[in-house]
Amino acid sequence: MTERQGLDPVTRNIIKNYLESAADTMAVTVVRTARSLVVRDNMDFSTAIFNADGDQVAQGLTLPFHMGAMQPALDAVRKHFGDDVRPGDIFANNDPYEGASHLPDIFLFKPIFVNELLMGWTCVIAHHTDIGGRVAGGNACDNTEIYQEGLRLPPIKLYEEGRLNAAVWRIIEKNVRVPDKVLGDIRAQLSAIRQGEREVLRLVSDHGLENLKNYMTDIIDYTERLTRAEIEGLPDGSWSFTDYVDDDGFSDDPIAIKLRVTIEGDEILLDFTGTSPQAKGSINPNFAFTKSAAYAALKGLTNPGITANAGFFRPIKVIATPGSYVNPQHPAPVAARGLGGFRVAHTVFGAMAKALPDRVPAAWGGGEIGASFGGYYPDGKAFVFLEFNNDGPRGGGPYADGADGATAPVTNQSNTPIESIEADQPLRITRYSYVPDSGGAGVFRGGLGVIREYELTAAEASVQIRSDRNKFLPWGAQGGSPGSQTHSILNPDGENRELPSKFLMDVKRGDVYRSVQAGGGGYGDPLERDPEAVLYDVLQEKVTVGGALEYGVVVSGEPPEVDVESTGKLRDRMRRERGPLTLEPRVEAASEARHPGVVL
Amino acid sequence: MIRAANFLGASVVRMTRFRAGVDIGGTFTDVVFLGDDGSVLVRKVASTPDDYAEAVLNGISLGIEELGLSPGDIGEVSHGYTVATNAILEGKGERTALITTEGFRDVLELARIRTPRLYDLYYQKPVPLVERRLRFEVPERMTFQGEVLKPLSEASLSEVLDRIEASGVRSVAVSLLHSYANPSHEERITEAVRERLPGVTLSVSSELLPEMREYERTSTTVINAYVRPVVAEYLSQLSGELRKTGIGVPLTVMQSNGGLAPVESAIEKPIYCIESGPAAGVVGAYHLGKRLGIDNILTFDMGGTTAKASMIEDGEMLLAPEYEVGGGMSVGHRLLKGGGYILRVPSIDLAEVSAGGGSIVWVDRGGSLQSGPQSAGAVPGPVCYGRGGQEPTVTDANVSLGYLNPDHLLGGEFPLDADAAARALRDRVGGPLGMSDTEAANGVHLLVNSNMARALRAVSTERGRDPRRFTLVAFGGGGPIHAAGLADSLGISRIVVPPSPGVFSAFGLLFADLEHHFVQTHFKAFADLDFREANEILDRLRGEGRELLRAEGFDDSRHQVVTQLDMKYVGQTSELTVSMPQSRFGPEALEEIGAGYGVEHEKTYGYQSDEPFQLVNIRVVARGLSDESRVPERIVSVSGAAEPASTDRDIYFGRAGGWLRTPVVGRSSLAVRSEGPLVVEEYDSTTVVPPGWTASLDDLGNIALERME
Repeated sequence: MTERQGLDPVTRNIIKNYLESAADTMAVTVVRTARSLVVRDNMDFSTAIFNADGDQVAQGLTLPFHMGAMQPALDAVRKHFGDDVRPGDIFANNDPYEGASHLPDIFLFKPIFVNELLMGWTCVIAHHTDIGGRVAGGNACDNTEIYQEGLRLPPIKLYEEGRLNAAVWRIIEKNVRVPDKVLGDIRAQLSAIRQGEREVLRLVSDHGLENLKNYMTDIIDYTERLTRAEIEGLPDGSWSFTDYVDDDGFSDDPIAIKLRVTIEGDEILLDFTGTSPQAKGSINPNFAFTKSAAYAALKGLTNPGITANAGFFRPIKVIATPGSYVNPQHPAPVAARGLGGFRVAHTVFGAMAKALPDRVPAAWGGGEIGASFGGYYPDGKAFVFLEFNNDGPRGGGPYADGADGATAPVTNQSNTPIESIEADQPLRITRYSYVPDSGGAGVFRGGLGVIREYELTAAEASVQIRSDRNKFLPWGAQGGSPGSQTHSILNPDGENRELPSKFLMDVKRGDVYRSVQAGGGGYGDPLERDPEAVLYDVLQEKVTVGGALEYGVVVSGEPPEVDVESTGKLRDRMRRERGPLTLEPRVEAASEARHPGVVL
Repeated sequence: MIRAANFLGASVVRMTRFRAGVDIGGTFTDVVFLGDDGSVLVRKVASTPDDYAEAVLNGISLGIEELGLSPGDIGEVSHGYTVATNAILEGKGERTALITTEGFRDVLELARIRTPRLYDLYYQKPVPLVERRLRFEVPERMTFQGEVLKPLSEASLSEVLDRIEASGVRSVAVSLLHSYANPSHEERITEAVRERLPGVTLSVSSELLPEMREYERTSTTVINAYVRPVVAEYLSQLSGELRKTGIGVPLTVMQSNGGLAPVESAIEKPIYCIESGPAAGVVGAYHLGKRLGIDNILTFDMGGTTAKASMIEDGEMLLAPEYEVGGGMSVGHRLLKGGGYILRVPSIDLAEVSAGGGSIVWVDRGGSLQSGPQSAGAVPGPVCYGRGGQEPTVTDANVSLGYLNPDHLLGGEFPLDADAAARALRDRVGGPLGMSDTEAANGVHLLVNSNMARALRAVSTERGRDPRRFTLVAFGGGGPIHAAGLADSLGISRIVVPPSPGVFSAFGLLFADLEHHFVQTHFKAFADLDFREANEILDRLRGEGRELLRAEGFDDSRHQVVTQLDMKYVGQTSELTVSMPQSRFGPEALEEIGAGYGVEHEKTYGYQSDEPFQLVNIRVVARGLSDESRVPERIVSVSGAAEPASTDRDIYFGRAGGWLRTPVVGRSSLAVRSEGPLVVEEYDSTTVVPPGWTASLDDLGNIALERME
């Protein structure tokens, strides 16, 4: 362990605590002042503080997926402006080909100065409800080039030496469908980065400028040491895994994400060579986001408590062929890149499940459902509703069942209150509940997916859905079964039409869109699950009597009980018939027969 | 019913001399007796978790005996308890059923789907308080404007009631979508349940919390249903036992909003009294502040495992609209929800960090010093307790630095092993970090201060408030040790340490007023506001408040009825609460309300906007005021123990101050203003006065610390 001269570990920790809480303070400000459901209720945003060199020092308790996403966006700003960074400037960037993520994610950066000397940066990234482009909501899967995706803001100054660049403001206002929400959220971001600056300046007065600058860098080195110590504790070796995205919405071809993870000493190499080429549709994760997703996955696999800063990234190397799905090249569309990022994280977990079979849970559902509804009220005013009924339930783990209807460990978005949606949007939610039997069987079963139904109450709207796992199931681990697949259904009580995972269509008043999340994968041999645990799920109506048979458990009678004798016989027969159990995770294709999408 | 005429001194005649405040904690039950003349007796007895009332009665009897009173001399008993919280955390509440709208029975368990710990692979949800098979759906539907979209199906309701009857459940919660806008379906269900299942306890969302947001409303209603029978049993038993001993006075219960509730409403709506213990300390500081003329206070309460902070601004306690029971409270709880059970009732806004005297300190793999969240607790306790604790704690550092008497605590009752503390710090902290003993102990002290500063910052700077404008009121066993260091780091220049800081929460119980809270969602943009309709709501809520107060013996001259509005700019996220400047809604009132909102918004977020306003909730607080002050002129301890003789010892005051020979005195010797370095030792606490600070005793018996310029 090396320490910088003259710095002590206590002061370092005190400053680290302060910076983390300052980033949290920024996040609280965003939540309280934001205007859109996606920021204020879905909480799709992040806050961070950087040192003068543009290295992330601390992130607020916000989205794990954003952990590694902010630094490349700031790098692009610093590269473009060089020395032209002045007190009072505020920079914006949403260009995926200059370090940002996808166009709806607008990054704002404020440089912090003390006596004309740059000493750090604050950042807030927020996912905006709309960014213009051909489809409301900014997440359309069926764009084919970035130019269709909306307003592109390469690194620019939104404020110049304290003065708003009114031209940029006007351009944003005229290019988005719901300027009150978008500009309102930008104001929330502005409040937060200014507040973060004030907090950092207080630290300057407490610790002195030079001292603080040294500590801000030292905090990053410290995190690096901690990360390396964690990686050192992992087994050395090399493990491969391939997970799939169903398709890009244009062709039926699956997209393979191939990964080889190599752990050597205190470093990790993630090599995505062999991954499918970039997709025609916009589900490509740009390389910055691919890396960010991989970092988030590895943080959960090492030590979730490590400070989310640049020191964590250093021992991790990511390789991906330019032009491949996980490293798309301009002008590839990336609007729905979130989906790809989730699958990148799944791939990392899958490979690590081979390295650490006793630690890594089965796959979380991974339906990655993003739903947008856009249209116009009779008075000509636009409405855009966007929410993520996202990545879904947890997979079963080595210690317990996967949590039903929870978010994945690499994100932490909230659902949107139904009553708020109905008061705010021309929509009615007609159902929000668990899908019985959707969790993969195992000693510890996967979590249950969630069904959510949206009824349009306006005359007409376009609905755009980004989802996945209709074809490839969330994998089980250590012999556990996969979770059920995602379904999109139009008017379940009428025509009951099964829709593809990615689509854009017009709907009219009274139409109902039903989204059924994939379930989590199971962990361990289903035939080893305690029959009483299966019975409990049956009593709770989370598993049906038919579903219990997947565990080789026969439940009958009223009140229902385990038929011990039949269960024994059934389990014996199932063991004989299935042959040896595959322990390593592998991706299976969905068969309609297994989970027909019927909802009880 | 003990609805006596002399409720909380509301009557003209006062028959009695003493009031008792009883605060149940995890380890100890604190009983404080406060006489009209300001004389105070403190009794600490071991809590009795199998039957909490036992310790309460035991403590009260001991005090009565010691004071030479008869039970009839006790004029009031105020109570803070954890019975409801424990029932929730231990899953020992009443088995409960829920009736909800078709399609939404999992709203309760889905919650907001967020996880309280980022990146955690093994996250488990809290077990829902109503299991899935007891969550029943009925076809019916309202719109957010209160129109009936689908009528309630009587046939289905009847079937559901059959199933509830068959399940044998005795407590039922009812929460339908948009019932805040139109309660008629919930009312119909109420009627049907009363008719079909007499004897079943009912909790109905439109009665308890007519507020938008289905999960929060449902969860709150379910918590009420789940704890109500347990709380009712406990409180009825306790009242009965008190009467048996001859104490025939009103029993009042501390609510999490800082007001007292009569025992009947605590039984009816137990959700208002769930986290009553931590609230009481803040209430104590609030009333102390009123008496001292201090309007802006940060409270700081440090115990064995956690430290809590709260804010009082412009003479008002700060209320949060909701909190999570069992959420593992932390400063991050504003961002990371999902660890507990959401309870949407106004409660004193506390920020809590895992930093207390028992917090274990350790060095992580990156070579950094950490404190907590693990705590040595009371057993084995810090190393210096000599009860088998091996891991150094914050208390061990405080002993090593001389802040705590290195020989003993509690006036000599409790011997300490300072050498063992120093050894443990050397082995686990100083050695690995290459620091001297003093540096290591000082490092621990500074680090834990920075963790606790996080809680204080969460309630101040996170809201745009500058802590330098505030007075720090420090209590709890460890509060007065760390107060000055914390104040220095936050730029605070004034500290108040109340008498008996270790049991100050129990004082809060005695200072509080009786209070009732009411809320009604009225989701209207100002432009769409129908004044007649809004004023009707005002009249109704105020009427309910006054009616309750009258029934409790407060005549109208002693009602304080405050109206507040939750509002926001149209489309904005969470609301801010502002007070209603006029008694009625009208064009002029709206102007004033809007202006008030702008000021509040600017204070909190740094800007105002010219956007239109949205009214969300109307809130009414009805307080019953006593005819006499509940805070005496001066507080004097009548406990037998004599103050220890003044002495001195070596104490370390950081790198700047170094080791200094420091006088150690009792509280009473501060009658003359004294300059630090100085340590004030008392039975249940130690106050550290560093160089650069002065300490003096005010009229009320508080230690006032001031930083010298």
